[in-house]
Amino acid sequence: MEKEKMVKELNRLIGKESVLGTDMQIQLYEYDASLIRSKPDCIVLPTSTEQVSKVVKFAHDNGIRVIARGAGTNLSGGSISLQGGIAIVLTRMNNILELDIENQRVVVQPGVITLNLKNFLAKHGYLYQPDPASEKASTLGGNIGENSGGPHCLKYGVTSNHVLGGELVLYNGEVVQIGGKALDNPGYDLSGVFVGSEGTLGIMTKAILRIMPKAEAVKTMMCIFNSIEEGGDTVSAIIADGIIPATLEMMDNLTIKAVEEAYNMGLPKDAAAILIIELDGLSDGMERLTNRILDICKKHHVREIRVAKDQAERDKIWAGRKGAFGAVGRLRPNYMVNDGTVPRTKLPETLAKVIAIGKKYNLPIANVFHAGDGNLHPLILFDERDADELKRVHAAANEILKVCADMGGTISGEHGIGVEKIHGMQLICSSQDLASMRNVKVAFDPDGTYNPGKVLPELQKTA
Amino acid sequence: MPQKDQLVSALQKIVGKANVIQGPKKLKDCAVDGLVPKAIVCPKNEKEISKVMAIANANKMTVVPRGSGTKMAAGGIPRKVDLVLSLSKLNRVVDYDKANLSLSVQAGITLAALQKKLGAGRKGNFLPLDPPFTEKATIGGIVATNSSGPKRYIYGTARDMLLGIKAVSPDGDIVSFGGKTMKNVSGYDMTKLMIGTWGGLGIITEITTKLLPLPEASATLLLSFGDLEAAGKYIRKIIHSSLLPSAVELINGAAADRLGEKSKYLLALSLEGVVEAVARQITEISESSKKEGAKGVKVLKGTKEKAFWVRVRDLGSDLAKKYGSPVILKSNFVISKHVELMARCEKITEAAGVRAAFICHAGNGILHTYILDKPGAGAKLKGLIELIGKLTLEAVKDEGNLVVESCPPEMKEKISVWGQPRHDQILMRRLKEKMDPAGILNPGRFVGGI
Repeated sequence: MEKEKMVKELNRLIGKESVLGTDMQIQLYEYDASLIRSKPDCIVLPTSTEQVSKVVKFAHDNGIRVIARGAGTNLSGGSISLQGGIAIVLTRMNNILELDIENQRVVVQPGVITLNLKNFLAKHGYLYQPDPASEKASTLGGNIGENSGGPHCLKYGVTSNHVLGGELVLYNGEVVQIGGKALDNPGYDLSGVFVGSEGTLGIMTKAILRIMPKAEAVKTMMCIFNSIEEGGDTVSAIIADGIIPATLEMMDNLTIKAVEEAYNMGLPKDAAAILIIELDGLSDGMERLTNRILDICKKHHVREIRVAKDQAERDKIWAGRKGAFGAVGRLRPNYMVNDGTVPRTKLPETLAKVIAIGKKYNLPIANVFHAGDGNLHPLILFDERDADELKRVHAAANEILKVCADMGGTISGEHGIGVEKIHGMQLICSSQDLASMRNVKVAFDPDGTYNPGKVLPELQKTA
Repeated sequence: MPQKDQLVSALQKIVGKANVIQGPKKLKDCAVDGLVPKAIVCPKNEKEISKVMAIANANKMTVVPRGSGTKMAAGGIPRKVDLVLSLSKLNRVVDYDKANLSLSVQAGITLAALQKKLGAGRKGNFLPLDPPFTEKATIGGIVATNSSGPKRYIYGTARDMLLGIKAVSPDGDIVSFGGKTMKNVSGYDMTKLMIGTWGGLGIITEITTKLLPLPEASATLLLSFGDLEAAGKYIRKIIHSSLLPSAVELINGAAADRLGEKSKYLLALSLEGVVEAVARQITEISESSKKEGAKGVKVLKGTKEKAFWVRVRDLGSDLAKKYGSPVILKSNFVISKHVELMARCEKITEAAGVRAAFICHAGNGILHTYILDKPGAGAKLKGLIELIGKLTLEAVKDEGNLVVESCPPEMKEKISVWGQPRHDQILMRRLKEKMDPAGILNPGRFVGGI
């Protein structure tokens, strides 16, 4: 369908205040936090499930592709309109619909910003656990699409562990309810397979999330190392000792320097690695557990340990970690974030290989990662205007994916496959595995209306 | 379909003569709701399963996967039972990565045998699942039916622990999803999709899961209450506090009696973790519960504690030993309704003149109803059918549903074992049709007759 006609029809369907179609407007939605760019034909900003449903039905009936989008913080090109069509931006559906403390649930629209929900719940003494680093900007709908993680997922699990159901708009505009506030509804775990499907199966217009009372005590410590190997070994040693803290985060020297230069928070710029370890739970026994962790750090020649004395100090430690991507972003015009994940015992070995890859391609790589989960985030720094450098970046990124796959790991822990890693899917999935996933796609979206060209590579036809 | 002997010889070629069972008694033992299979096949590995499935698929023969057979009285009546596929020979630990706290294990191993292996040594680990049939339940069966127990309150269920699944699809493809990393968003979360599908989308042959270190200390508090209202108030206080019990079980008098405890309503709280936290919770809960109306407080530790939780888990399996297919119901509901729903269900069963034991995972919104009378026949059976209808409506009122976990086949013809139909059935049906187009895996046994 021609663009003008599409816009006109959409204006009629949901009102022109909810439709954007000028070139300038479209340009604002042609990118996310990855390097990939592609324009939708037009943008709609619905305010209700009914409007989403109308738009999707219209698109489906006319063979137009649809992509759902939140704040555009996606790191793998998942929210880019590869084949044009309509981008449904859900940021106006940003209401917390129901706080149900008695049942420990909250019902939200997809456009609610993650941190807004957390701040809202904190006033009532409750927590929604997932805490992606982009929580200040990212939407819950986006978190659900990507199955986002975050530091506290080490203990509390990722987004899908906290999504119990919701409302879906299917490929033809039909609206269905899946899961619910109660656990164990009979049937397949549709929420389980939907979360992390990167907008390829449907649009969740309402989500039911689990909330929990906040922990009695929290202890946050920063452990500074002179060697990155010893930092990595410490992580493995803590887990192997049977301690699962709430978080076990790590930053390398390049990141530490960047964070310090950006925020000036007193980090030693010559340190090789910093671990941020947080414990939470009951206060009883926490002191002893802290000491056990500190003993392990000492065995691995920790240089300095800083234990946060109060909330302000804790916030300061976390501000550095959560702002790390931003700080590293100041070093060069562009960065590419890798998201490979390995069994946590393979962390030191993988890290060494990542460093070697940086050297081989002559590219600076900053490492910030969820060490306790074995989830690396090497940030490859470059300038996209330099064609040769860009080529080396892609080669290095691919090599890192391969290293992670070879280590018995996977190519994405929490940022998604999107477009960026779609060619890597064959590193970890057989054609039978992919065919099985393709069946799920077709069951949900038989005509391929939603987010084409993402997650699943085209299967090679076998005779 | 080929002749039976042709089929048998084809199967024998794949798994060996001794592993195709045809003895009439054994076949009868593996009947599902009275439907006797043509053969029981016991493959030794995925490759054999793959070949068996390819034959079954090509010939539209239905296959019922089976672990140790603890769930055979559950689910809808199958449309057809051609083959029972036993996973009992797939019972190997594939990869126990102690330092990574992960484990890959084949489906046929029992959870009990596995826990023994994991718990051995100075720093033992465990898989935090505690479903019914403590000794018999296999890993594959637990995952395929998403079976859980009291301690899900703190540890969650299979969906929270599993990292990966290996399965054989209905057409014989061996597929592998997830892996041994703690996080994985590479493609769809097929692991979660496979959990609780009753083998309807593929035969689960291996799982990979997170493990947890064994807790330093544990104790259980048994608080006895004279009325449900006081118990309910106290449960609310506990689950909205920062205290961290690992199980919050509300048990009625009839159930307590079977557990060897005397109490009108018993609240069992399991405490696990570091020594100091367990000790403090014992003191704090003992004191505060008395103030809130608990009439007695008992602390269980060591073997007595372990035995108590085994009895809780196995109340249903003990009934099964007695009656074959006892009536066991599972209601789910929003968590705040723990005592309200139990009170209503108690009243309704009493009015129906039926004796029932109730055990509620009060922090998770799951109520198990164990009918203590023999299901019987005639008017008695009719009464039970009516009762199930009423109890289903009660759970639906509280945003849940009711699943009949066990009942005699003659009853199944007249009830919906999966509760009231739900809005999302359409998606489930499409998934089943896409993934098992010939409809050979456990057809008819799952929700909505898929």
